[in-house]
Order: sequence, then C-alpha cells, then structure tokens
Amino acid sequence: MQQFDLIVVGGGPGGYVAAIRAAQLGFKTALVEKQHLGGVCLNWGCIPTKALLRGADVAHTLKEAAHFGFAFDNLSFDINKLVAHSRNVANKLSQGIAYLMKKNGIAVIDGSARVAAKGELEVTLNGKASRYKADHIILATGARARNLPNIAIDGKRVWGAREAMTPTALPERLLVIGAGAIGVEFASLYSDLGSSVTLVEAVERITPAEDAEISALAAKAFSKRGITVLTNTLVDALDSSGEDTIALLKGPDGEQRLSVDQVILAVGISGNIEQLGLESLAVATERGFIKTDGFGKTNLVGLYAIGDVAGPPWLAHKASHEAVICVEKIAGVDGVKPLNKDRVPGCTYCRPQIASVGLTEAQAKSAGHEVRIGRFNLNANGKSLAINEAEGLVKTVFDSQTGELLGAHMIGPEVTEQIQGFGIAQQLEATEHELMHTVFAHPTVSESMHESVLDSLGLAIHQ
Amino acid sequence: MSAQIKPINMPKWGMEMAEGDINSWHVEIGAQVNAGDDLVDVETSKIVNTVTATNSGILRAIVGQPGDTLAVGALLGVLADANTSDADIQAFIASHTAAAAPAESSTPAEKSSTPAEKSSPPAAAQATTAAPAPAKADTKPNAPDAMSKLAAGADDSGVAASPVARRLAAEYGVNLNNISATGRHGRVSKRDLDAAVSAAGGQLIGAHTASSSHAPRYPDDSTVKATPVARRLARDLGINLHQCRVSGDRGRVCKADVEAAAALHNKLQAKPSSTATEVAVEEAFELQAMSGMRKTIAARLQASKQTAPHFRVQIDAELDALLAVRKQLNDANTNAKISVNDFIVKACASALTRVPAINVQFDGEQVKYFRDADISVAVAIDEGLITPIVKQANSKGLIAISNEVRDLATRAKLNRLKPNEFQGGSFCISNLGMFGIKQFDAIINPPQGAILAVGAGEQRPVVKNGQLAVATVVSLTLSSDHRIIDGAVAAQFMSVLKGYLEQPATMLG
Repeated sequence: MQQFDLIVVGGGPGGYVAAIRAAQLGFKTALVEKQHLGGVCLNWGCIPTKALLRGADVAHTLKEAAHFGFAFDNLSFDINKLVAHSRNVANKLSQGIAYLMKKNGIAVIDGSARVAAKGELEVTLNGKASRYKADHIILATGARARNLPNIAIDGKRVWGAREAMTPTALPERLLVIGAGAIGVEFASLYSDLGSSVTLVEAVERITPAEDAEISALAAKAFSKRGITVLTNTLVDALDSSGEDTIALLKGPDGEQRLSVDQVILAVGISGNIEQLGLESLAVATERGFIKTDGFGKTNLVGLYAIGDVAGPPWLAHKASHEAVICVEKIAGVDGVKPLNKDRVPGCTYCRPQIASVGLTEAQAKSAGHEVRIGRFNLNANGKSLAINEAEGLVKTVFDSQTGELLGAHMIGPEVTEQIQGFGIAQQLEATEHELMHTVFAHPTVSESMHESVLDSLGLAIHQ
Repeated sequence: MSAQIKPINMPKWGMEMAEGDINSWHVEIGAQVNAGDDLVDVETSKIVNTVTATNSGILRAIVGQPGDTLAVGALLGVLADANTSDADIQAFIASHTAAAAPAESSTPAEKSSTPAEKSSPPAAAQATTAAPAPAKADTKPNAPDAMSKLAAGADDSGVAASPVARRLAAEYGVNLNNISATGRHGRVSKRDLDAAVSAAGGQLIGAHTASSSHAPRYPDDSTVKATPVARRLARDLGINLHQCRVSGDRGRVCKADVEAAAALHNKLQAKPSSTATEVAVEEAFELQAMSGMRKTIAARLQASKQTAPHFRVQIDAELDALLAVRKQLNDANTNAKISVNDFIVKACASALTRVPAINVQFDGEQVKYFRDADISVAVAIDEGLITPIVKQANSKGLIAISNEVRDLATRAKLNRLKPNEFQGGSFCISNLGMFGIKQFDAIINPPQGAILAVGAGEQRPVVKNGQLAVATVVSLTLSSDHRIIDGAVAAQFMSVLKGYLEQPATMLG
C-alpha cells in the first residue's frame, strides 16, 4: 500500500492550495481528484461565469453606445463564441493547476476516494480500486447545486449552474429560481445578453445574505433593467410537458402562471459528503456538511475537512484560507489562528456589482453593538457619473464606542475590486480615524469609500 | 555610543546546556547580516545547531573562534554598524570580557584580541575590523626542532579529531598521532593542538578572547504602541521601539519614527558578503559533507559504543490479547488510531515505573533516577533519525500517547520539533517492525541507560502445554549500559514488560 504523509481529496481551490502548502512544508503529499483539477471554481464556477459576464458587460456597453454618440447597424451575437471563450479560460487554468502540482512534487491520483479506515483511503478509477495510507487526510470535496423537493435539475428545461454556463442558444424567456449570489449573477447575465428574465426568491428580498439596503438597491436596479423580481414567492409546480414550461408561482398577490423557455435552479448547495465512507466511520456531520473545529479537524483521528464540504460561507477564498490554516496547524507552525468568518469578503458579479465584508447593520445590532452608520451614494461621485454608472451605495458600519469597522457593504461599478480596502482595514483593526486620514485618489469610484466613512461622523464633503 | 553595538551570545538550547563548542562561522568579519541569518554553528553534547542573528548589522568582531568551548551567555561576536569606531567595539568587548569569568582554563598567554589572520583575502570590509591584528608570538629558539618532532609519525587520518583541529594540524604540519586528546568524545580538540604547538614553541595561528554574558541594552519593546508597519520595520532594521520618537496617531510609533531612528544610527546600509567558490571535480561518486544531524548521530553513537559497555537481553512476547484490545479501543473511539508501538510505549512506561533502575540517565559519574517515564521514540527522517519524547508517558492514556506520537512524528519529518521535544528522555524505543525485521540490537542513546529494540509482530509456531500452536509474537531486545544496569535488573524489566504486553489489562492499574 502506497504511503504518504498527507493526502488531499479534491482538487478545487481548497484542495489544491492545501496540497501545495503541505508540499512547501515538507509533507510527502498526494492529491486525489475525480474529474478536473481546479474543481468547480475553475471549471464550473467562479472563473467561467466571470468570462461569460464579461460578455454581458460588452452587451451592456453596446446598448448604451448611442449615449456616447456611437451608432451602428447589423449588430449580431453568437452565444457559442462567448461560451467558447469561457471554456478556454477554464481549461487554461486547469492546466495551470496541473503544472503547480508537478512543480511542487505532489502526486496526483485520478479517481474517486473513500475513507476506508482511519488513515486509509480507497481510490477507485474505472472500477479498479487502490489503497493509500496517510496519517493526515484532508477532505476538500466541495459541494453541488441543491434540488427542491418538487423541482430537480434535469439539464434540459431545468438547468443547474453547469448547464447555465454552457448554453447553445439564448433562451427567450428565462425563469431563475433563487436570488442568492449564483441566481442574481445568471439573471444579470442573461438579461444583458437579451433574455427576458424573471427572478423568484422565497424570502422577502434578493441577495438575502447582504445588508437590507443593498438588497433593496439591487432589486431596484434589476427592475429598472427590465428583470421581473418576485420576492416572497414560491414556485409551487413546474410543468415542462408542453412546448412552454409553465411555472405556478405563489406570491403575496396570489397565484400566477408563468410561461418560460428555460428555468435555472439556484437555491443553494449541499456538501459532497456521500460515498466518502463517512457514515461507517461515524464521522460527524451537520445539515449535510462535515463538522470540524476551527482548524478543520473532524472527530475522526487524522481526518480533516475544509472548504464547501465543511460548511458556509461557500466561497473559494474561504476554502483556500482554511486549507492553509489546516495544514499549518498539522505541521505545528507557530501562531496559526482559526478563520474569522466575519472577515471573509463576499462578491456578487451582477450589474451593478455587490461586495461586502463583515457584519450587516442588522447583524451588528443583534450582536449587541451600538453602531454608527455611514452612507454615500454614487450619484454624488464624479467618476461614477463619468462612466455613466452612478447607481450605487457604499455603506459602512462602525462600533460607535471603539470606532471598529464592523462591516462594509457596497453596490456599484467594480466594487468587487474595492472591498479589499475595507478588508485590510478590518484585519489591521483600523478605526474610522485611520480611514478618514487615508488619502483616496481622485477621480475614483473608491473615493465613495472615504466619503462613507466621513458620513458615519456626519462629515461627508460631497453630500 | 554603544546603543547600536549588539552582542552575539552563546545560546542556551535546553535545560542541560552549560557550554558549547564553536564549530564554524558562516559569515566573515565585515559582512552585513540581517536578523534571522545563520551566524555560527555551535556543537553541544547533544546537537550541532546554528546560532542565528537576532539583530541586523555588520559582523565587526569574532570573539568565539572555531574550536573554543564557551559557556552559555558568553560573547561570541559583535554586530554593529559601519560607523561605530573600532575603539568602541574594543571597549564593548573589553567590558564584557572583564565582567566574565573564562569558560575554560586556557592560559592568558593564549588570549589576545580578535581577528583571524587566517581569514581569507582581506576584503575592503575588513578595514572595519574591530581590533588590530595580534602581535605574533615569538618563536622560541628550539622551536623548529620541537615542531619537526610533532610533524613526524604514521598516517594520522584515523585519529579522532575535531574538524577544526584537523584543519589546523594540516596548517601547522603537525601529525595528530603526536597530540594527546582531551576533547569531547575523546577527540583531539583545537585546545589540545594549541597546547602541543605552544609547548613545542610553535607560533599559534589566530588566538581569541573568551568572554561571557551581558544584558540587553534596551528593554523588551513588545508593549510599545506602534503601527504594524513600524513594528516590522524596526525588527528588520534592528531598531528597538524604545529608541524611537513617537509622532504617530494616538501615541503610536509610526514608520517615519523608525526611519528617523534608523537614519540616526546609519542602519540602512548593506554590504553584500562574498563567498569563495570551489572548483568541482568530476568523480565517480557524489561527495557530501555530513549534515549537522549526521555529525551528531555519528559522534553520539560512536561515543555510546565506546564508553557504555552494552549487554543485551532478549524476550518474546505474545501479542494476541493486545491486538484484541487494540481493535476494541480503535473501533470504539473515532479519535483513536492506536498502533502496536503505542502499546509498547505505554507498556514500557508502566514497566519503568515498576523497575525504576532502568529509567535512568548516566553522565559517567552520577546516575539520575527519573520519577516519570519520558520515552524517546526513534523516528526515521530523510536526514537521519531523531528521537522525540513522549513526556510523562506513565501518566498518559493510550489514546493520548498515540495521538502525541503521531503529532511528534509528523513534525519530526518536517524538521519542526522544538529542542525540548527531542532533547532528554529517560528511555528509548526503536521499532523496525514495519520493515519485517524479526529482531535487532540498538545502540544506547546517551546519556540514557537503556534502549528497547522492537521487531515485527508476526505469527509464529509456539509450543503450549506440549502442543504446537500459532501465536502473534514480537521479539524485544533491551540494550543496557552495564556500568549502571546489571543483568538481573534488565531481565526483570523485560519480564515485567512481557507481562504488560501479554496481559494488557494489567496496564490499567
């Protein structure tokens, strides 16, 4: 039986980072992957959707070309070319991971893994099973799209994220069920590309994980773009037997029937915990995810779990960070601390973009903080007006006693690239004082971050 | 202006370290060093380890010369900036030397100020050398005669000598067969060589000043309020935050304050150090210098075999009952993956408590009888082997021992053990069972008194009540130091150990 010091199961942004960090520290390391190095993130998630969303940006720019004086005829669009761009990017990055594995001397084992015993893995490929031993096994098997009891992804009329990012034709009428990050990104993408989109959410607002004010602005921007947003609405039944797919929607104003060509189901994810042999070894799970301590350790000796399979937030960068923490803890690196989940930023790449870090106003208050709130609207920001995208808000939440930045919430152009400024401020435990005395360049969208901080003390200059 | 003069002192690695031998310096006088750089290899009775810089600066003087044995805390060298005058450096060394008692009984005549005449081509940086070159000792009239006697003799390549002594002997043209050895592990030391050369009226190459401890110039600055950038910069530049003015927000030392302090002390300049390169010769083998760990293993085990009269007692133990208990424990506890070796650690701990005469360290004069069983477990790693310690194994349960051994072994392979995790121990276990080895003898890990060698647990035919039967059997061999452990005691220990292994429930008591 082949023996390693440490084996990682799953080659996504949690798994491959864990393997590289382990190899750097001197572990004899292997990584088991059943399909694609890079996992969902690189192959079927973060990266390919961003490639498609770039196409949506181009579509949007073309639509408003007239505003800037351009006029043209015979505009055409071939969705297959956009999908090809997205797939090329994914393939390129996946090959990059293979190179990184090789460079770091990590053995890549193809196949599906099962924890056969304590410190032992069985990897099956094409019906042939091999066993491997390791004192430390890290599960980073990720998660997959969840189905509803009455609606399941079938790859035809009902798409999951994977089918939604490899369309062969643009659906004319699209229903998106679920308005979390994935749902709103697809709603935004297809709306910009030309589909007529209805977005349905069961709770009272879209992007329910974000601050309520941000959700409200997102809903307003979506409605203005022509996306039909229905909140507090359930899809009671879906009939795809006829030519049209008929959705029976139950909302605050009663029932309605909606005829669409395509449905995207994006109602959350569940952890890939099956077929891993966890039950027979009594590995503790909770609501479909593996239970771990702050360092990824499970209740089974020598077994660890990181990333999506170990619970929310389901973000690639959280998985990568947990990977490093888990491996360094095993290696006894000094000063390793558990991940502070309040400092994990979240980004949603709809138009306008949404980005946040830390507590929402409501979360901060329910945690017992006395808060001071800063707000700055992008319609008073010169750069936002200049690029004709002056819809948006920067909201900051400070503890009024200590001045600690508890949370920051942004909606607007390229805010996903700006949130890091607040992330660094939080990590350094900066107060509003340091942020006020930091010089923000002009003209930038990020000046609004500064103004929002100033506004928390009633000192905003431009509003 | 002694604020920017930083001493390099002999560190204390582990409770028992009182002194260390200087092996070799990694940097030359005049070279710029940064905090964390390797400075000098020091050998103790247990390990060869490298002293790293805690400050940055230019190495202005080397006080501890290769071959010297110096006490913990003794001054090894001096770091300072380029602008510090040689006189200040001398005064600094003098102030430390005056306060310190010499760590060894070298005669004053052997001592003089610092620098090494033998150090390679004078670099420009050596203009800053701390002290003038020592006056060369006058050669006595009869010196050539006496020295030529020292040079005569048969091939001395087999004589045990420290690397420094061997190199110096070549420079003096002295045959090591003519030198009486008093060094560690019975080797010819630099001191032996110097004594012989002095006695013969020869001229000493390089001399040194031994000196000792000294207190830091500034108190710990970890509580000084500073911005993160300022704290990092200060550390990198070797600036103590107490040295800095405070002009940052809310009374914090900011980056500008540290830079101002650094500018004041001219800390910002750097000088690359040059290293000599050797011409590689194509050979039919790969020549590798011994690693520090290899040297330590070589020296300690050679000394053990040479000084400790080993005797061995061997016993077989049946493991079937133990294997059944192991399965029960592992099946019942998700947090347990107990190996047979973990049981042996636990059984040894129990047996050492019953037969404390085995649970000892011996330094050649006195025997230490330990209250707790601190069991060293030999772990093979790429560079050699290391023996992390399960401390107080007698008061730990099997699951705790098992998880501790796994953690220690993991970190041993990554070279991440702390010195106190592998230095010491009252007993040692070496297990080669995983390779299918049936039985072997181990060399005692000094200063311990005994070591247990564990073979593979395997099914063997046994005779019970006149009937042939099959049992899982392991062969255990204890090597003991007969100076302090007698045959009957070793036999008693092995019989008790066998009892614990064959009836594991008795370990619970």
